[in-house]
Amino acid sequence: MNASAIALVGNPNVGKSVLFHRLTGAYVNVSNYPGTTVEVARAAACFDATIDLVDTPGVLTLPARSDDERATMRALLHEPLRAVIQVGDAKNLRRTLTLTALLAELGVPTVLALNMHDEAGARGVTVDAEALSDALGIPVVPTVATGGEGVAQLTHRVADASTPQPLLRYDAAAETAIADLAQRIETQAPHPRLTARGMAILYLGQDSEVEAWLQQAAGEASAEFAATRGIAHAAGVTPAALAHERGEAAGTLAARVTARSAQSSPVLAHRIGQWVIHRVWAWPILLGVLFAVYEFVGVFGAGTLVGLMEETVFGGILNPAITGFVQQHISIGWLANLLVGEYGLWTMGMTYALALILPIVTTFFIAFGLLEDSGYFARLSVLANRLFKLIGLNGRAVLPMVLGLGCVTMATLTTRILHSPRERLITIFLMALAIPCSAQLGVVLGLLGGISFSALLIWVVSMFAVLMLAGFLAARLIPGRRIPLVTEMPPIRLPLLGNVAKKTVGRLKWYLIEVIPLFLLGTLIMFLLDQFGALPAIIRAGEPLVSGWLGLPKEASAAFVMGFLRRDFGATGLFALSHQLSPIQAVVGMVTITLFVPCIASVMMIIKEQGLKVAAAMLALIIPFAFLIGGVLNHLLRAVWA
Amino acid sequence: MSARDHAARVPLSFLLPGVQARVDAIDEAIDPTQREQLVAYGLAPGRPLVVLQQRPMTLVMIDEVELALEDSVARHVWVTRR
Ligand SMILES: Nc1nc2c(ncn2[C@@H]2O[C@H](COP(=O)(O)OP(=O)(O)OP(=O)(O)O)[C@@H](O)[C@H]2O)c(=O)[nH]1
Ligand SMILES: [Mg+2]
Repeated sequence: MNASAIALVGNPNVGKSVLFHRLTGAYVNVSNYPGTTVEVARAAACFDATIDLVDTPGVLTLPARSDDERATMRALLHEPLRAVIQVGDAKNLRRTLTLTALLAELGVPTVLALNMHDEAGARGVTVDAEALSDALGIPVVPTVATGGEGVAQLTHRVADASTPQPLLRYDAAAETAIADLAQRIETQAPHPRLTARGMAILYLGQDSEVEAWLQQAAGEASAEFAATRGIAHAAGVTPAALAHERGEAAGTLAARVTARSAQSSPVLAHRIGQWVIHRVWAWPILLGVLFAVYEFVGVFGAGTLVGLMEETVFGGILNPAITGFVQQHISIGWLANLLVGEYGLWTMGMTYALALILPIVTTFFIAFGLLEDSGYFARLSVLANRLFKLIGLNGRAVLPMVLGLGCVTMATLTTRILHSPRERLITIFLMALAIPCSAQLGVVLGLLGGISFSALLIWVVSMFAVLMLAGFLAARLIPGRRIPLVTEMPPIRLPLLGNVAKKTVGRLKWYLIEVIPLFLLGTLIMFLLDQFGALPAIIRAGEPLVSGWLGLPKEASAAFVMGFLRRDFGATGLFALSHQLSPIQAVVGMVTITLFVPCIASVMMIIKEQGLKVAAAMLALIIPFAFLIGGVLNHLLRAVWA
Repeated sequence: MSARDHAARVPLSFLLPGVQARVDAIDEAIDPTQREQLVAYGLAPGRPLVVLQQRPMTLVMIDEVELALEDSVARHVWVTRR
């Protein structure tokens, strides 16, 4: 970590992370929806290795109101920043300048990168960068981050960063309160880099991070601050009033430097964006998208590619060769067994991980990346809002849940974009319970897809029903109010194949580095249990539950034991038994194991974000619930399907 | 259309798709944090907007921003037709 840093700060979805990649060479996820980045990332700058560049989550507003925005505020407070590169959307200057106004108040040396110049041009919006630069007294550089335009100039101008000219004075009552508070802050808790005026404005705006910082710095004296703020609020100096004035000032300046040419017809992307949430067309389009994904992942990935890998590459070539080699050269019986036996590291662990799951996960990530970058995911919030009302959430929670289909652990972090702790808690719980991640989907498609489409459909319907039921109960048990949906639709964009490729490679790397070692560990545990004769004991102990209640062969107990490590590994264990499973048993087994907590990493993430107590409570709830639902489904299916 | 119609303040959720309007006020019935959020998105008093659709949700265009609002919010945003 360098002693000096420059932060990329800006509104959501304006291209900060693309610029971060351009300026450091380090790749962080880039997607077309607000809320891609939810924690800070840092890397040394290409143009000066002694400086760290810090990518931050997008902020719709400062003072911060959600956990991702708080992470950005923390960076402003705690990072040794020498300057900020504010990234703004050229076609949305009002919002950009609202943030600039605050940076000016905080006294942060700033350079403004006016990004998305291409899109602004296509919509007939032009910004006079020179006039803006004159008005603000800072360098303003038009950029197209995705194409690299203006990036070189931006790096040159970073050295010229200076504090923007103030954009506004607030009304008299507000100014009095600000001056009073600023003076107290100046004497009792001055910030090493940020001005007391800016801190006072954020404190009056009820920014919880600034509040915490001042409390820490001022100790006892912070009670005084709170009293001052109380009086100000009573006099009408509220967070909303301050924000409104900043918005007005920004709007005034934006209008002065922006020119709009009248447009004859809306751009095609805009019309597509409306079709996909049209009250009628939205549904056939959704079905079409699901069908295309199923064809690509379920049929091509899980069918064609897996068949090729499993039967031809592994079954036909690699496994016989490796087994032969090991048996020839390793005479120690248990060692050979460990490598290529029934629970062998190669024959079970690696074969599952590479031949069965890898092809499915790869195709899934490609489809997923394309959808992410198109702007379709964000529009699902509109379609799902009514449904999510039933489970105490609003459509915003769709985004983390859909991302959970990729990786529940990362999606748990994405819940930071939600606006209340209650929404976060419900969403994290539901994801841990009922959202299958890509690896899990891989095995489910592999097993159930091979049985019949109706088996797969029953699994889908069951998972969905559990999600709704658990959500319905959670919404009623967890106190608090539901927040209605207000959200922005990102523009529909043509996905950039380079970005999709980078994302896919990054995710596959995660899969290979994080998932495969756990697969091997799981295999090793199975091997040891088997070797020391513990497996029969476990199988016997689990028999009443597994055979009696779930109606599965008693060997399936072993799969559930593995499921505690990673549920997809447990699912793979079931897959290994598939020749002994009837369709009903396969569905019941898969539903039960999918309801398990995803993996150890996801539990660690829940602990990190929600604390040990909440995580423990979730675990204690989820495991019995999984068996309960599995058993109910077993009896139901036997009654109606057999 | 009569002049009186022009002056009438109506809830945003009443307007038909295609109608242009100007935001008059955001009702106190919406909670303060959400009001702040609306202003940040650009839905602030005095600003012009175009209604794009009303179902399944109110969708408006404010400059280049496409904003979706649930009915329970759109009902409390007062606008004047332009
Ligand atoms: N047309 C165009 N698209 C861009 C430009 N810069 C970024 N994008 C696209 O905008 C989207 C968002 O880019 P990100 O870099 O993820 O934005 P961000 O500011 O980091 O977003 P958050 O982390 O969610 O706040 C992606 O789909 C990019 O491909 C640009 O200059 N022109
Ligand atoms: Mg980002």
